[in-house]
Amino acid sequence: MTPYRSVFKDESKLDINYVPRRLPHREKEHRLLMEFFNFLLQFPERMTQRVIITGEVGTGKTSLAQRFGADITLEANKRGVNFRYVHVNCREYRGKLFLILQHAVSVFRPNFPKRGYSAEEALETLMQSLDEENAYMILALDEFDTLIEQEGSESVYKLTRLQEMRPGKPQRISLISILRDLKSTEKLDASARSTLQRNVISLKRYPKDQLVDILNDRVAMAFEPSTVPEDVVDLVAELAVSESGNARFAIELLWRAGKYADAEDLDLVAAECVRKAVSSITPTLRRSELASLGFHEKLFLLGAARVFKGSQGTYASLPEIEEGYAVVCEEFGEQPHSHTQLWKYVQLFSALGILKAEVTATGTRGRSTRVSLPSVPASELEKELSAALEKR
Amino acid sequence: MEIEEVFSSKPRMKILRLVARLGALNVSDIARRINLNYSTTNQHLKLLEAEGILQQRVYGRVRMYRFNDRSPKAIAVQNLIETWEQNK
Ligand SMILES: Nc1ncnc2c1ncn2[C@@H]1O[C@H](COP(=O)(O)OP(=O)(O)O)[C@@H](O)[C@H]1O
Ligand SMILES: [Mg+2]
Repeated sequence: MTPYRSVFKDESKLDINYVPRRLPHREKEHRLLMEFFNFLLQFPERMTQRVIITGEVGTGKTSLAQRFGADITLEANKRGVNFRYVHVNCREYRGKLFLILQHAVSVFRPNFPKRGYSAEEALETLMQSLDEENAYMILALDEFDTLIEQEGSESVYKLTRLQEMRPGKPQRISLISILRDLKSTEKLDASARSTLQRNVISLKRYPKDQLVDILNDRVAMAFEPSTVPEDVVDLVAELAVSESGNARFAIELLWRAGKYADAEDLDLVAAECVRKAVSSITPTLRRSELASLGFHEKLFLLGAARVFKGSQGTYASLPEIEEGYAVVCEEFGEQPHSHTQLWKYVQLFSALGILKAEVTATGTRGRSTRVSLPSVPASELEKELSAALEKR
Repeated sequence: MEIEEVFSSKPRMKILRLVARLGALNVSDIARRINLNYSTTNQHLKLLEAEGILQQRVYGRVRMYRFNDRSPKAIAVQNLIETWEQNK
């Protein structure tokens, strides 16, 4: 028996809760946060800060906040400031301010009772504990929209009023509110909104090249050397772009593709592993769609599926696919359709999202078309098409 | 109070061990953990507070007991318990 082998070196680096030391393409936002909270390092008692971070799913909001939290804690402690960063996911506490604050209290007073007091009292307790230890904190409220949904403007007042009611005393609690879209703050009344929105950092969707950088970092941390070819990283990034630049999707896809490679005992992650991984996350191949295809359309797609199944690469050239189609035609005793007709098939399948065709510039002859099968496993496609063709 | 009186109570020794292990605790939590009713527990806590070993902090309606961090007696008791636990 061959010993167990794996393309992974350290899978934990692909875990959704892992926060990497470096966040490529979020350096600017990290620096901005550092500037906003720079006072904490010098005269923490004099002020507090409120920052909002917005961005679509997978744009790095949570990771950015956590990375920043860890970095500033280290820096503050180095300078002798007793500082804590507390990250709470409001959704996990059903958007209830009381439960959120109770969690924050438990960071300082682990055995504090769970019942018998209100949200205001929890906040006072938190403040008092901070006073007792001369400590300062940033409370990061992730998925803040669930809190707005549940408790509205009043929760914002509770969080901010307390500071204002103790003039002359040290300021202790700063806030980072994290949400997808500023739109959800429209449910707050104007003054609650203005209390929060002093500084807004909005994270843009990652374009493909940035996703490639993010993925390459993780590949280096999580995979054995040269087990993830460049064009596979490229394919994963491409797919994540169509999932609105979601880095979480990209990383999960990479991890699942690695799992498929291991399951099949491959020494590298092939494009087919990525396709299988995608279809395990988002089923893109609908049987009814295949059934409604014309006979030669099916033959053509079957030819393409076999080309992709037989190669480890991500892309195939148009002539390679035509060749595959010709072989299938021979098998079925059919005369292949013309080149122009085939080009129409390519366009049809691109529109259906099964194939993807790109025109690339080549050295001498100008342009050529490269085709990929981004999100359906070739083996599955082949199986489905063979079945559909048999029924005929 | 003389030392033999303070330390001759089983519930009081349990309370001290508990607070040494878990840090600040509120009265009903302590009562539950040492399996004693609230008012008796409260009396023991008051005594330990009067002796300057424990200290009370009030957070709104919640009272939490912990070792009195300015008392040499409290430090001595914590050391005793720690040494005891480590050499069982
Ligand atoms: N710039 C980045 N560099 C490295 N990893 C990133 C970056 N942005 C996001 N990620 C990773 O992508 C995943 C999703 O990011 P997350 O911060 O949870 O996004 P959001 O909170 O905006 O939904 C996480 O695993 C995270 O580590
Ligand atoms: Mg998040």
